Amino acid sequence: MAGSIKDQVAIVGVGCTKFGDNFDQSFEDLLVEAGFAAFADARIEPERVEAAWLGTFSPYAGNGKASVSLADALRMYGKPITRVENYCATGTDAFRNAAMAVASGMYDVALVAGVEKLKDRPMRGLGWENGHPYQHDGLTAPGVFAMAANRYFHCLGQGFGAGREALAKVSVKNHHNGAMNPKAHFQMEVSEAQVLEAPIVAWPFGLFDCCPTTDGAAAAVICRADMARQFREDYVLVKGVGLAVTSGRPWYDSANEYLGFAATRAASEQAYRMAGVRNPLAEIDLAEVHDCFTWTEIANYEDLGFCGKGEGVHFIGEGRSALTGDLPVNPSGGLKSFGHPIGASGVRMIYEVVTQLRGQAGARQVRDAELGLVHNLGGPGSVACVVVLGRQ
Amino acid sequence: MIGIAGYSVYVPRRRMRRELVATAWGAPAMPGCKAVVNFDEDSLTMAQSAVWPLLQSGGADALSFASTTAPYWQRSAASLIAAACDLPAQTATADFGASLRAATTALRASLDAVAAGSVRTALVTAADCRDGEPESAEEMLFGDAAAAVCVGSEGLTAELVASVSRCDDFPDEWRRDADTHVHSFASKYSLTRGYIENTVAVGRALFEKAGVQPQQIARAALASRDGRAHIAAAKALGIPAASVEDVRAGDIGITGAPMPLYLLAQALDRANAGDLILAIAYGDGADGLLFRSLGGGARLRTDRHAMEYPTYQIYRKLRGYGRTSGGGTEISNVLLRREEAQNVRLHGSLCPQCGLLQFPVAKVCRGCHRHGGLMERPLARRGRLFTFTKDFLYNAPVEPTVMAVVDLEGGGRFLCQMTDADPAAVEIGMEVELVLRRMREGAGDHYYYWKCRPV
Repeated sequence: MAGSIKDQVAIVGVGCTKFGDNFDQSFEDLLVEAGFAAFADARIEPERVEAAWLGTFSPYAGNGKASVSLADALRMYGKPITRVENYCATGTDAFRNAAMAVASGMYDVALVAGVEKLKDRPMRGLGWENGHPYQHDGLTAPGVFAMAANRYFHCLGQGFGAGREALAKVSVKNHHNGAMNPKAHFQMEVSEAQVLEAPIVAWPFGLFDCCPTTDGAAAAVICRADMARQFREDYVLVKGVGLAVTSGRPWYDSANEYLGFAATRAASEQAYRMAGVRNPLAEIDLAEVHDCFTWTEIANYEDLGFCGKGEGVHFIGEGRSALTGDLPVNPSGGLKSFGHPIGASGVRMIYEVVTQLRGQAGARQVRDAELGLVHNLGGPGSVACVVVLGRQ
Repeated sequence: MIGIAGYSVYVPRRRMRRELVATAWGAPAMPGCKAVVNFDEDSLTMAQSAVWPLLQSGGADALSFASTTAPYWQRSAASLIAAACDLPAQTATADFGASLRAATTALRASLDAVAAGSVRTALVTAADCRDGEPESAEEMLFGDAAAAVCVGSEGLTAELVASVSRCDDFPDEWRRDADTHVHSFASKYSLTRGYIENTVAVGRALFEKAGVQPQQIARAALASRDGRAHIAAAKALGIPAASVEDVRAGDIGITGAPMPLYLLAQALDRANAGDLILAIAYGDGADGLLFRSLGGGARLRTDRHAMEYPTYQIYRKLRGYGRTSGGGTEISNVLLRREEAQNVRLHGSLCPQCGLLQFPVAKVCRGCHRHGGLMERPLARRGRLFTFTKDFLYNAPVEPTVMAVVDLEGGGRFLCQMTDADPAAVEIGMEVELVLRRMREGAGDHYYYWKCRPV
């Protein structure tokens, strides 16, 4: 793969709603708030945006289907708009597609928006929409990752439910970071004991091992790198992008060891190669990774090359991913604190990395942040998207 | 020579102690417990589980299903069972119902078909999960079970000596088309005029036809209405009390249509070569069959996994679950038909290049990515647990739902729910078998799919 978009695309504006139970906001309200915040941040007239990508996963009650959801919300008519859906990597993949379009020279300025309105729905957790009517009956999102976590800890030589203490440390860390973030769904510290004593959702995950269901939206205005200074001095450059897809039915793959996610390994390899990252642990200053469940974050450490296979438990245990560690992971508070409005998450994580690289993250600011990583993992660990962002 | 070539029984793992039923209603307790279906079982799934072991030693040309509690008024459970047993399309299937002697009627028809030479081997599988009205004697008595026999002319364990039937429209127990519970006239008159009179009449006719004396009967499989009346019938017939099979009212219950088949299997299992075995079923008349054991019967498997319901409330809730949880997805018959091979017959694909056996049926190999030439193959229905979780989020009638990834014997990896298991005893590496179960109810249909359970 010879192509590269390194340093060709700049992020000049970002916007993000408060994430949470936004009962008084509609799908369009969320999109308007995030979109116009990004326009204001870029000091740009909405009319200057030439094309838009909408990342949204699950249409509901007339919203989120196709590109018209964005067109009607922002009154952006007559322009090319594309809706992207790629499981939980929806937001980052929307960004990736927009960045490639700008890098191609097709558009000078584009908008990326991610949004999801989950709390209008009368259900627990995230439904398995349009899946096979009975073949996968009984499978839930936490269940998918729990089956992997149980195998992982089994192979580490620990019995069923062991490893819960390592998982709890991820939850404690991310809640600690989220407590400093005014946009997070949950802004509260939790103790390890609280996490361990919480009701079980799907063994080995308790309530605090799972990200909540949440409403939210985030947006970014991107442009050709050579025109970024028209908008702001402290723009952020796209250094590398990667997307990799593996089986959406990994449970039928008898070669699947269930010890991590090949999609993340492949997507990060692509992004690292483009960005010129050789030693992620040494070179990356902060990472927003997909912590849909606490164990996923531990698997991510390994798959993203922050540590070796089977060492993720030590990586969290030794505090290396803490805000004060050598590679702070999820300084925003992660999906754990923010919740996971699917399409919004990836763009929200880009919002956090941009904020950190600009040095505007306040109490949770990572010192001397130059290079940041965003990672989404979708479906049953099947779709991974990695974006590396850097200060110019 | 025609007769029985094989037999098998299936008893669901759940047990309900009658004392708990009695306590719930403030009624006097009956002794023992009854076997009852799990929330995902019905007469169809039990009958499939009963008949499947009989297909491990060969195929069959015909399959009959007998039940008074078939899950469909219109749709052949026998045909669905045949598909789940991976029998070919030319299998002659038939559904028998309405009467408590449906199983023996199916058995007589199958023996006649083999005798006539129209089929070589015929399977009969019978099951019932009858629901007694809450607070009734039937609620205490009725149990759920299934039994199956293979009828043929080779490799027999018992030969047919004679069979007779009689009909008698005597209203002592019935269920109308719209009823969910059995109605009955429980009286001494009902017992003597209905059960005893018909059982004795058919028994005597059979002895006369076969030219045998009642004292010669070594084992008598007499289906019972209440766990007691069969003893009186045996006495009236002159059969030695020691020859009368225990009807299992104490630990399984009065099971309905499968009862005579279950007792016949039990009798065959205990018989010595040369023993005369009598089987009589009562219901709107009676069927009588006389067999001579040829020895060599397979020992019935004993399932050691019985699980007691802790309370009557849980039992009641789960009993009604499958019938009240409608409103799910509707599936087109286009998809159902196209996926029958994988979802009902449990077929996968075998790659001719790398040898990988995989589920579901595929056109491109999951392992080596070869396109074309993949061969459809049945998957083994046994395997080991690769990983699992206990899920409390999934909306199920009992929590947690155990979701399992299973490595099947001989290849193929499968994802399914686990059933009939104590969640605390589930561990990676444990041996499991795949069983047909009723899934979450669809919009206008029942959906059957596979679950695993500890062996």
